[in-house]
Amino acid sequence: MTKYALITGGARGIGASISRELASLGYCVLINYKSSQQRAEELKKEIEENGGSAELLPFDVSNVEEVDNAIERWEDSHPSEYISVLVNNAGIRNDTLMVFMNNEQWDDVISANLNGPFYVTRRLLKRMMTKRWGRIVNMSSLSGLKGLPGQVNYSASKAALIGLTKSLAQEVAPRKVTVNAVAPGFIDSDMTAALPKDELVKMVPAGRFGKPEEVAALVAFLVSDSAAYITGQVISINGGLF
Amino acid sequence: MTKEEIKQSVNEFLIEELEIEPEKLSDDAYLKEDVGIDSLDFVDIVVLVEEKFGFKIKAEDMYNVRTLSQFYDYIEKQVQ
Repeated sequence: MTKYALITGGARGIGASISRELASLGYCVLINYKSSQQRAEELKKEIEENGGSAELLPFDVSNVEEVDNAIERWEDSHPSEYISVLVNNAGIRNDTLMVFMNNEQWDDVISANLNGPFYVTRRLLKRMMTKRWGRIVNMSSLSGLKGLPGQVNYSASKAALIGLTKSLAQEVAPRKVTVNAVAPGFIDSDMTAALPKDELVKMVPAGRFGKPEEVAALVAFLVSDSAAYITGQVISINGGLF
Repeated sequence: MTKEEIKQSVNEFLIEELEIEPEKLSDDAYLKEDVGIDSLDFVDIVVLVEEKFGFKIKAEDMYNVRTLSQFYDYIEKQVQ
């Protein structure tokens, strides 16, 4: 039976690497995106050329109606299937010092990074529970663990996601659904492209930024059968920067 | 669908899927205290009802449903 894995923000950056990795392991990956349609289509094509299978599932994670409608349509067209793996990867950052942060900057980041995972997870959870198998991985961040100046909105959202992860893990463990968070440090991706890498890399004991593929490999392990007893955890992947 | 069919369908599910002992399933048994249905089991029941009886249980409707026979009655009313 085909296993379906939904990766939110799955067309770009770390999300794209996760889509590729899970597809290579035999999952049919549902690539979610909000605006990166072209990249999503290219990725789908690439996955299919490599013998994998992928579908596109566009919606804005922060818009509850879009989330519910898109997933309902998918379920209607796949009546005997369910999405057993969810990677809540979609996220944005909008950095500025708190004294200059306006409401919109706060709300947008909280909506995408915290409300988004809530809306999507809630929608998929029921099937995972009744089918007695599910994997949820929430993409948190080093910023959610240690805080970073200029990122109170982002740090707050990513720390909150850890609280969600720990509570939900306890709720659904009896139903063989695991919920974990991954907390990457500096990873070469779209999100870090505009950062002063030469300066930041000096802070990283490993002496380099991480690769998206390295994060994808960790996610692949967490969603595997082998990781059935790991739940409610935050796994850092940061080259020793913590 | 008759009340008896509803009862049979619900009980079958409780026994097979939630592994509840058949002797616990008397009409006047309290869902929580006697049958031992917890909030996680309730998620399964919601899905069962959607699939077998074709309607969505509203959480507020369940406030007054405490026993198995009240639950059969509730389903009967909804499917009529």
